[in-house]
Amino acid sequence: MRNVIRIIWFDLKQELRPPVWILLEWVTFGVQLFMYGALISKLITIAALSNYQQFYAVGYIIMITFNIGSHTGRHFVEHAHEGRLPYLLSLPISRWKLFLSVMLEGSAELALLLVVPLSVTLLIIGNFTLLSIMSTILTLFCLGFGVSGIMLALSFIAFRSTDIYTAIVTALSTLIIRFSTVFYPLMFLPPSYATAATFSPLTYGSDLVRLILGFDPSLLVNPSIAIAVLTALTVSTLGISAFLLQRLVEGVKSA
Amino acid sequence: MFAVETKSLTKLYGKANALKSLDFTINQGEIMVLLGPNGSGKTTLLLILATVLKPTSGIAKVMGFDAVKQPTQVRQILGIAFQEARGFWRHKPMEILRFHATVCGVPKDKREALIEQVMKDLELWDSRGKLFMHLSGGQAKRLEVAKLLVQRPKLAIFDEPSSQVDLRGKRIIWDNILKLRNEGSTVLVATNEVREAEYLADRITILDLGLSVACDTVKHLKDSIAGGDIVELEVETPNQNNIVKELSKLEGTFRVTALNENQIRAYVSMAEAWVPKMTALCYESNARVLSVRVTEPSLDDVFLHFTGRALGATTG
Repeated sequence: MRNVIRIIWFDLKQELRPPVWILLEWVTFGVQLFMYGALISKLITIAALSNYQQFYAVGYIIMITFNIGSHTGRHFVEHAHEGRLPYLLSLPISRWKLFLSVMLEGSAELALLLVVPLSVTLLIIGNFTLLSIMSTILTLFCLGFGVSGIMLALSFIAFRSTDIYTAIVTALSTLIIRFSTVFYPLMFLPPSYATAATFSPLTYGSDLVRLILGFDPSLLVNPSIAIAVLTALTVSTLGISAFLLQRLVEGVKSA
Repeated sequence: MFAVETKSLTKLYGKANALKSLDFTINQGEIMVLLGPNGSGKTTLLLILATVLKPTSGIAKVMGFDAVKQPTQVRQILGIAFQEARGFWRHKPMEILRFHATVCGVPKDKREALIEQVMKDLELWDSRGKLFMHLSGGQAKRLEVAKLLVQRPKLAIFDEPSSQVDLRGKRIIWDNILKLRNEGSTVLVATNEVREAEYLADRITILDLGLSVACDTVKHLKDSIAGGDIVELEVETPNQNNIVKELSKLEGTFRVTALNENQIRAYVSMAEAWVPKMTALCYESNARVLSVRVTEPSLDDVFLHFTGRALGATTG
């Protein structure tokens, strides 16, 4: 396991030298929440929602989680094309440990990015219990893993054409984010929009986090379904992506 | 036990056949050079041995370990320097080598001294603080080679180790590869550069279109070309035609032509055996040999002989 940690740290430390992108992400979160979020909460009135800004804050946390998950998956594909992946594949580390290092590195990046936004969000919601914090983090990590898994599972396209992969991933990301309850509750959405939103994993991720943080359950999807969907998403996409990577990465000329 | 052994090794990329039922061995402690043009399957073979790629069929063994069934054991005993330096763009050479040495299990007490020594040997020490992305092509390539010199694996694989490197740098890299072999590693080098092959090889395997078309020492490969050695003589003799006729009858002679009234050119096999016979014949015929110049065939000629194509030609 020490080699897994070495790989993660080797990559991560250069991201922190200096940690500009993390600071920028925190600043962006602050601006979005305390300017845009504060303004829009004056315009949006939903009966079961006393303060839309809190809802928006959770939505933004979900967005960050999605971006990091997506970035981790794409990063892996980029490594294959840059030729860094063959180097990692040639190191005396088993494949599952290498796969684990990719996923854990994504988790570490997610943790770094979320530490401030999540703390601020918990603060403005006023829910600072250990249980809610741990449950929220667990849900976010599951969602992050699931999103990375989707991107990795799609990586076989990148080995044929990077352009097609980028186009598909961009289109899919747009659909997954837009047609979801990340920024607006399901009951607030037009019926056709709401139907589409039930197919987005972000709907279940964001609503589960909101439930844990004490939002009115009538605004949210059924929590049992949300847990089932998130679990299924995480397990299936990671399983498929691990299988595909074994098959694809070692089966094609990657550089 | 062979250091490397492949049996009927085949690799398909879609319909393209990169390796065609390749049988190939490397003895322990030798430098085997894979010589072939771009597209001949060299890199594919190296990547299969390094467990980066899986073969379509056939067996590849490294020090007795199966590259498909025991990949982790294989990776623990080999190291590969890739054709293109694999970029950790925002890392420094020192950090890259330190990471590589640590992951590959170089003992902590020797690590720093070894890294410093290798960086100095490869003239990278002054660039140790630069980011990888700021290194020149030659420096990046030398860093790639440095990884294996620090790691000192049982099987060291170099894919075109001195491409993009200037002449002086090439010599430094080659000498360090020889040193690595002398210290006990088995070395596999893939190249399409004749000088590199001649400088390094204990044996050469000529790879063409995914097939091994010849495998032997440089000398034996050159000797295997009938009439491959060219001997140019300057002879003082009253009867040149007679000498030309007599030389043509010598064992190992392929063809003899008179260039002018004093100069004769002979195409022979194994000039070192032919020249003493020639001088004895001239002595007996009262012909005075003023000069002898022997030109060996190059590896380009060897490649042409075995494949019917020049080494510079791309095969796909």
